[in-house]
Amino acid sequence: MTRVSLGDASLTNILARQGAALRAEVQSASAEVTTGKYQDIAQALRGDVSPVLAIDASLARLAAFKTTATDAAFQTAAQQAAITGLSSLASGITTTLLGSRDFPTPVQVNSIAADARGRLASAVGLLNSQATGRAVFSGMATDTAPLGGSDDLLAALELAAAGSTTAGQVSAAVTIWFASATGYGTFYQGAAALSPTPIALGESADLFTTALDPAIRDTLAGFAMAALLDRGILTGDAGERAILAQTAGRQLLTSEDSRITLAARIGTVEAQIETARTRNASEETALATLRLDIGSVDSYEAATRLETARAQLESLYLVIARVSRLSLVEFLR
Amino acid sequence: MSITSALSGALSGLSVTSRQAELLSSNVANATTPGYVRRELGLRAAMLGGTGQGVEATGVTRNLDRHLLSERRLALAGDGDRSLRSTLLKRVEDSFGSPDSAGSLAARLAAFDQALVEGASRPESRARQQAILSTAQSLTAGFASATDDIQQARINADRQIASEVGKLNATLTQLQTLNIELRSFSGAGRDVSALLDERQRLVDSISAIVPVREVARDLNQIALFTTGGATLLEGSPAVFGFTAVNTITPETTLAAGGLSGITINGSPFATAGPSSPILGGTLGALFAVRDELATKTQGKLDAVARDLIERFSSAGLDPTLTPGSPSLFTDAGAVFNPLYEVGLAGRLTLNAAADPAQGGALFRLRDGLGALAEGPPGNGTLLTALRSTLNLAAPLSSIGFTAGTRNFAALMGDLHSDSSALRLSAEADQSFAATRLTALTDLEAENGIDTDQEMQALLVIEKNYAANAKVIQTVENMIDLLLRLGA
Repeated sequence: MTRVSLGDASLTNILARQGAALRAEVQSASAEVTTGKYQDIAQALRGDVSPVLAIDASLARLAAFKTTATDAAFQTAAQQAAITGLSSLASGITTTLLGSRDFPTPVQVNSIAADARGRLASAVGLLNSQATGRAVFSGMATDTAPLGGSDDLLAALELAAAGSTTAGQVSAAVTIWFASATGYGTFYQGAAALSPTPIALGESADLFTTALDPAIRDTLAGFAMAALLDRGILTGDAGERAILAQTAGRQLLTSEDSRITLAARIGTVEAQIETARTRNASEETALATLRLDIGSVDSYEAATRLETARAQLESLYLVIARVSRLSLVEFLR
Repeated sequence: MSITSALSGALSGLSVTSRQAELLSSNVANATTPGYVRRELGLRAAMLGGTGQGVEATGVTRNLDRHLLSERRLALAGDGDRSLRSTLLKRVEDSFGSPDSAGSLAARLAAFDQALVEGASRPESRARQQAILSTAQSLTAGFASATDDIQQARINADRQIASEVGKLNATLTQLQTLNIELRSFSGAGRDVSALLDERQRLVDSISAIVPVREVARDLNQIALFTTGGATLLEGSPAVFGFTAVNTITPETTLAAGGLSGITINGSPFATAGPSSPILGGTLGALFAVRDELATKTQGKLDAVARDLIERFSSAGLDPTLTPGSPSLFTDAGAVFNPLYEVGLAGRLTLNAAADPAQGGALFRLRDGLGALAEGPPGNGTLLTALRSTLNLAAPLSSIGFTAGTRNFAALMGDLHSDSSALRLSAEADQSFAATRLTALTDLEAENGIDTDQEMQALLVIEKNYAANAKVIQTVENMIDLLLRLGA
């Protein structure tokens, strides 16, 4: 007789296996619903995880660029503020200086000279200003103020102009000193310009401005010429003193152009930084969206999966309960 | 006398039905015993002098499907092999860190890159220099812990081989003993089903270790061979030899003689390749894990570590470095030797000159590792250069990993993808092997005890017993009737 039978263990095994599979499915789907992360991201991406890694690395880098662009923006803003300050210091005295030959008394030259000396000190103070503990015109020597005190500057100039008897000689000596590497070049305590700072992928902001910039030198030279009068240069020669004051005014007037140019150049960098920040922000948003797209679970889909698995598991429990009562032994009582 | 024949016939019926009930109770009792094979009593009509003399038991038969059994054993070996491989590859993948977690090698690299960018923008900031240092240390720590994990997996495999070999030797000895018992009991004509069940269970237990072919011999004897051709049991058992080691470093290999291979009866056999007789089960897979899979992964990790070192020691990057002195990433503090790449990932350390904890100074990250004194604090040139060396597409100089020209982040991404892809493909293999094993196990279970059917048989046995008893009662009445005739 051919045996027609099905071992008890067979059904038990099948039900147990189906139960285990469904419970695993419920577990993974519920974890995905609650965390929004794939339980196995490698499987979801079919083994190629490079896109997710690239996006994560880009997001980390963008976070860094956010910081560096802010740093750079801060630096340029501080420089821009100092240059604006220099311009307003200069413009407040230029006209008066230009008219100094028409002054009725030498005393007025003295008072304008005193004013110029004060403005020189303010100008040096502006250039020595710090942004978040960083000297902004010192180039790489961020821990050092770019210039010494204004009195030291004037003392050095007096030495350079010693023996001069005419306003022309004094102004020439001042101009030469400011242009010279051994004059103003050594008075400058900073270092070479900062290296370009990264602000976006493949893009750097050039923070080139130091106190050695011609616009700054010319402005300081203008203030210094007038300030020297206050230190008593060309004493006794009222005519030459008035001429020197006028030369100083002309020097400040001509330096106006280079200050504007410098401000415009820094402004270009500021604009570049701002564009980079905007671009970084939009790139970050786009990448974050893409990251969600490829690296995160569609919660609707995961919830559907969870619900399906739950319903299947409940049906399975029902089947187990029914089938296990289905035995001949039950009926042989 | 035909009436007495009827009596003895009915008696034989009674005795056979009780024997059937006995077997049936054993079947029902063992309904869930693994390895138990259903028994049946063979019957035939007893003949004596050409006439029927009742019923006679021919012996107990085990309903065993030999073909299915042998297929299931092979599937068991295949499943053991695949699951060990995929477990190892999963472990390797985990040791690199899940790609979407903050602890992964790629995430550590991204943090280092981020710190370099931020450092280049404010080179004077001690906090940012510290961030560069600690992210670089976290990167080297990631390489080191991945190396540890891989080597730990090799040690575990080595120990497991020792335990599997021990189990194999012990089981083969037990099988030999059983063979001897079976020979004597079978010769005496006794029911040996229980011994056969036990032997089958023992063979099952080693068939996961090596794939086994069972060959039947006379008098219920068996001989065992691996599918690769090694004799496991033929009269006397084979003796496997293996020695476990205590420590395994990346440099320890079978080829270099630091690890034990396998011997059978004292002669060495290959543990990999077409000539190896032990492949296909967990034993072969453990050797593959120890000598091939883990080693290859270590090689890839070393290749990536080497690329990192070489990027940072490229000429002209750090002008303060004298030729022949180590760069930011070092091989255990020294210059990397291209001839000694094995295990580099585990030895990767940060240059002590930049680490205040090791007597170095943070400013050397900015001013160069050979700098004697601090330079201008705002000098970000070197930091920018360090960062761009990471993002430079450069060819891979090591042959441990797929060649190509890529930047370091892409290389790291490839390392992650490679380990994930290998794991997924091993898991696909494993799930195929598991499905096959499940299908065969289900088939075997279908041939197992069906209590419903046993209950049906019990009803038949009960009915037969009653019928035979009725025959005896009737014969007795007939004999009584005859005896009363004479009274």
